[in-house]
Amino acid sequence: MKVELSRRKFLQGSVALSVLGGSLASVPTLWAKEKPSSNNTIVATLCEMCVNKCAAFAYVEDGIVKKLNPNPLFPKSKNMLCARGDAGIHALYDPDRLKYPLIRIGKKGSGEFKRATWDEAYEAILHGTDKFQGLKQILDEEENNRSTIGFCAGEGMGEHTYKQFMGDLLGSKNFINHSSICLQTTIAGYTLTLGSYGKADLENANYVIMAGANRAEAILTPDTMDMFKRTRGRGLKLIVLDPRYTNTAIHADKWLGIKVGTDLAFVLALTYVVIKEVLYNKDFVEKNVDHFETYKKHILTNNYTPEWAEKITGVDAHEITKIARDFMANAPRAVYYQGRRTAWSKQDFQLRRAQAIFTALGGGIDVKGGIVFGKKLYLHSHSVEVPTYTTNKRRIDRNEASIVGKNGTWIGFRNMIVEDRTPYPVRAFFSYKQNPMQSVPNVAKTKTMLEKMDLVVTIDTMPSDTVMMSDVILPECTYFEREDPVKSFGGTQPAIVLRNKVLDPMYETKAVFDILKGLSEKISRPLFDIAAKYDEYIQEEIEDSGADAIYEDDGYNFNNAYEQTQEEINEEIITSTYGEEAYETLKEKGVFYPNMDKYFKKISENEYQYYPEDKKYYTTPGGEKIDVQDTCIDEKAIAALKKNLGTRSGRVECYLSSMIKKKVDPMPVWRDELYSEAPKGMFKFITGRDAKHTQNSTTNNIMLLDIMKENYLWINKAQADEKGISHGDWVSVKSSIGEVKIKAYPTIKIIPDVVFYVHGFGSESTGLTFGHRNGASDNLIIEDTVETVFGSAAMHETVVDVRKV
Amino acid sequence: MNYAMSLDYQSCIDCKACEVACKEENGVQLGADKQRIWVTQIEKSIFGQPFVALHPSQCNHCLDAPCVDVCPTGSSYFAEGGIVMTDKDLCILCKGCMEACPYDARFVDDTHVAVDKCSFCYETRLVHGEVSTACQATCPTKVRLLGDIDDEESDLVKMLKERKFYVLKEEEKTVPKLFYLLPEHDDYYAMNSVDPDTKIYTWDTFKPIIEKAKAKRKPQWKKIIL
Repeated sequence: MKVELSRRKFLQGSVALSVLGGSLASVPTLWAKEKPSSNNTIVATLCEMCVNKCAAFAYVEDGIVKKLNPNPLFPKSKNMLCARGDAGIHALYDPDRLKYPLIRIGKKGSGEFKRATWDEAYEAILHGTDKFQGLKQILDEEENNRSTIGFCAGEGMGEHTYKQFMGDLLGSKNFINHSSICLQTTIAGYTLTLGSYGKADLENANYVIMAGANRAEAILTPDTMDMFKRTRGRGLKLIVLDPRYTNTAIHADKWLGIKVGTDLAFVLALTYVVIKEVLYNKDFVEKNVDHFETYKKHILTNNYTPEWAEKITGVDAHEITKIARDFMANAPRAVYYQGRRTAWSKQDFQLRRAQAIFTALGGGIDVKGGIVFGKKLYLHSHSVEVPTYTTNKRRIDRNEASIVGKNGTWIGFRNMIVEDRTPYPVRAFFSYKQNPMQSVPNVAKTKTMLEKMDLVVTIDTMPSDTVMMSDVILPECTYFEREDPVKSFGGTQPAIVLRNKVLDPMYETKAVFDILKGLSEKISRPLFDIAAKYDEYIQEEIEDSGADAIYEDDGYNFNNAYEQTQEEINEEIITSTYGEEAYETLKEKGVFYPNMDKYFKKISENEYQYYPEDKKYYTTPGGEKIDVQDTCIDEKAIAALKKNLGTRSGRVECYLSSMIKKKVDPMPVWRDELYSEAPKGMFKFITGRDAKHTQNSTTNNIMLLDIMKENYLWINKAQADEKGISHGDWVSVKSSIGEVKIKAYPTIKIIPDVVFYVHGFGSESTGLTFGHRNGASDNLIIEDTVETVFGSAAMHETVVDVRKV
Repeated sequence: MNYAMSLDYQSCIDCKACEVACKEENGVQLGADKQRIWVTQIEKSIFGQPFVALHPSQCNHCLDAPCVDVCPTGSSYFAEGGIVMTDKDLCILCKGCMEACPYDARFVDDTHVAVDKCSFCYETRLVHGEVSTACQATCPTKVRLLGDIDDEESDLVKMLKERKFYVLKEEEKTVPKLFYLLPEHDDYYAMNSVDPDTKIYTWDTFKPIIEKAKAKRKPQWKKIIL
């Protein structure tokens, strides 16, 4: 039985009401408000189940998303959706979604909240309640030091919008994101060495060393999937170094179970062989490598021989020599894969530098089959008027490591607050789409940090462990229910993509853009008045022009940033460069690039062409494509062309003199004092990802729980036998900071003295009906060790004891 | 039309995209034991070194299927296009077909109170003119290829003419239609769990087997009841 309000009745009722109310609502307006009862549409969207943004089509029937299919038009995601992407519907229709704003009424972390309207929630943020303080009181007491508000964000298309609000408009300097618990060391290592992180051209590489990286399971980046069609004698030799035999290792020609934290010794030994035997691309090195002679001398005099490395890494010296020779024989189509989440060891930055230099010695930089930089299609940025404050203090964690960038160091930032070491009080914390209660090592400290805050505000879709620690919860809609800022993806086959809105926001949720717009209306003026009370610069400006004029014209009225809607901003950005037609293409197909109509071709049911081979941007010195396809010179010669890399010297940087004053080694050095083996009877703990879940964000998704419900402790079979541990037995895993109980998975797929379980499980939030307490959280036992260059987490330095319980 | 599927199974990475796409597309009941399609992991070691072979699989849509023969009500039937279908209204849950199937491709769907299995996405895709299954479309490494083995010009037959392949449990003589493509190089046979006993086919050697089974069963092909 279905009760329906007929179209006719609806119209009659509405018109009658509007007449009674004396309004002049026109009939077309009413028509536009009513949704046709039967409407099947296909909307081009972008997946947000992980960070990759694969293009998808959402099939909508009667206002309900019924199915997601891959959208074959996007060169980056190439007609695929992974398990998580397919299960996106259950993120939209998750019964545990945050549905309306909530305000804390019980003890912090108790999970006691009351339902609130958006206005009440904004009001609570400004003025506080009897349970917590508001921004007005905090900023008044801190004399308008906006940096008293710390804020963090998870990766996503709304991250910039949020950061702009918190950092540029509100004015806080204390921003932290996932960088220091993820890929900071590799991004920095490659950027400082090669000028850019670049992209490994795995479609065309003939020899790939993948160390620790696990492309088949850990964040399934679609542009690396083609590699698995070319393994096992099909063109690409794959060497995998990993303490675990992963799904990536399944595809390897050689799997080497390297000891945890010793990769740098392995790379230095490869470099030794290549230099000693003069196997490197001499032309390339001469034209494009800076300080090569210094590096050469450094490698040779330190005697980084394969035999030396064997003792540290456990990898056979002959194997190291063979890999070094094979790599150079295949260069320039040979890549030492950069890695993604590289928050592993204390020596991680130097490891990434050594990898980058090693790849460069083969000439595999800015060339087909090597590390390519490609091209990015231009999109002009949307600028807003930014206010000036002189009262805001610098970020607290800037001395927590040698180099602390604008993304901060999560562990450094948090520990300073927990240990009362901050130069000024950090009293409020805003979190958007991040879950530090599960993602930052040492959960107990993160909890203490949030407990110390006078105000915690979270913006999210699900009641994560962090959301449960909030004072005010602002429910964001899911990626189906909003249009996000248009984005350009660079590469050999660049494209622009748009996440179109599939449905209107459900419940009382809003897009982050609209959440911030609403918050601006509430707090803009009151906070300006506080600024005017303490900031002498603003006082002078007011004296000259008057408070209202300054407020309106100089960016202090945040509302000005939200005058246009996200849709309007996107339309303007796209049409101004690429015209109306490009915008329409993006609305309809989700993907646009110049000549797409000519270039894009279906080759077979399983294959598409995005750009013809001769139009791909493999070699782009200084950002401009050079056409090497028509010439018949050999690939080593192409690789050896003079590059103009984005480094200071324009060349590959072997020696970074600027590092010396920061007390960082200018060249990669193996430091014994930064490495230790696990004491006898103990294990090194490592963490990682799985293809079926995205970090801790999908563990309430019923479809994904169906294929993976919990995590298991991987332990070497022989060692498990010694301890009498069988498959499925409960074991305790204990480190210096915590203990978890988890089921065991004894396997020959992990080397001795190392144990592993997948990150993301073990949520404590009672708001997650299906995800609550499945398996164990890794960060309950991972110690908060940092590498000292960037303050990045060193997640693989923890030693644990394992026993059967 | 005679639907069949090849699987370039050495490209599989066990990401389970196919399993989820199948459940989403076809509304398959939730539960780890309720699968129309699956990936089998074979974990072994050679000289102490581990190796894993992955076999994505599903109903083989056998040309000479025993599940149809044992069905007492006609719920399981040969359908046009060479698809083995089930008519859920006729199923009495005797589970005879589940016993008869050598591939364990069938399970009880509690939501429909009937046995369920892969239909090559007939109801959700093929009937609407689409030419791929949900599992094929979503796959990051494009393991699967659905096609018409009666059409010598189809991409599927072209592929089978180029590549050697084997079928699962051929000793059951059910004439299955999932073709597992062998690695191009036999150095990789062991890692893909191809052993000396595996019977290796080419299109020329398998085609007569298909023809024979088709001659026997085609008269039983019925119009699909949805």
